[in-house]
Amino acid sequence: MVIITKENFNLEDEFKKIHSKRNGAYSFFLGTVRQDINSNIDGIFLECYEDLAIRQLNKIKEDCIKKWELTDCTIIHRIGDLKISERIVLVIAAAPHRSDCIKACEYIIDALKANVALWKFKIKGKEKKPVDQKKKDIDKYLSWSQVIR
Amino acid sequence: MKITIKYFSWVRVKIQKSHDLFELPDVITFSKLKKELIKKNSFYDEVFKDSSIKYFLNLKEIIDENIPINDGDEIALLPPVTGG
Repeated sequence: MVIITKENFNLEDEFKKIHSKRNGAYSFFLGTVRQDINSNIDGIFLECYEDLAIRQLNKIKEDCIKKWELTDCTIIHRIGDLKISERIVLVIAAAPHRSDCIKACEYIIDALKANVALWKFKIKGKEKKPVDQKKKDIDKYLSWSQVIR
Repeated sequence: MKITIKYFSWVRVKIQKSHDLFELPDVITFSKLKKELIKKNSFYDEVFKDSSIKYFLNLKEIIDENIPINDGDEIALLPPVTGG
């Protein structure tokens, strides 16, 4: 399941949706809005090119299912205005064995941060300032190049 | 023919709109379209000089700028992504 939404999500509900007797392992990644020590922000705004982002996320999902033999995976990404501590993104990878789903979960969030048509803005008062892409995020994604071809 | 150009992130902020509709007399390559847009507004010059911007045509990245742009096409100008 791949979803881009303004609505919050419930971890237990999402787990129930992906749960299956075939799975012996689930790996979760939950990204939230953090209060940076160096920049006192009120929250973030997330913009999306939705048609493209859905297509890109489905491609990441298909690659993972093929590479790590996942039974399924969930990717939910929120858009719009989000306050400090609110949930941004949820990834759940499900597989018969733990090693596959832990690796896949990490790959999915790395690929999402480097490739998917989503843009973050820092909100302070009435100002929304675009966030710059981090080189470390690209380097982390590129480190998978020997794994995913 | 009519085409749509969509803007995101700092590009959208700078041009102060999410998209534009353009009428063109005939099929044109993306390369020629860029030149026509620069003539209309110097804003495009800044965008097209930025090598970090990716161009998408109907949800596929433009690799060869000689690709023809047809009636109803949707082009998107995408700065480096920062989701997650």
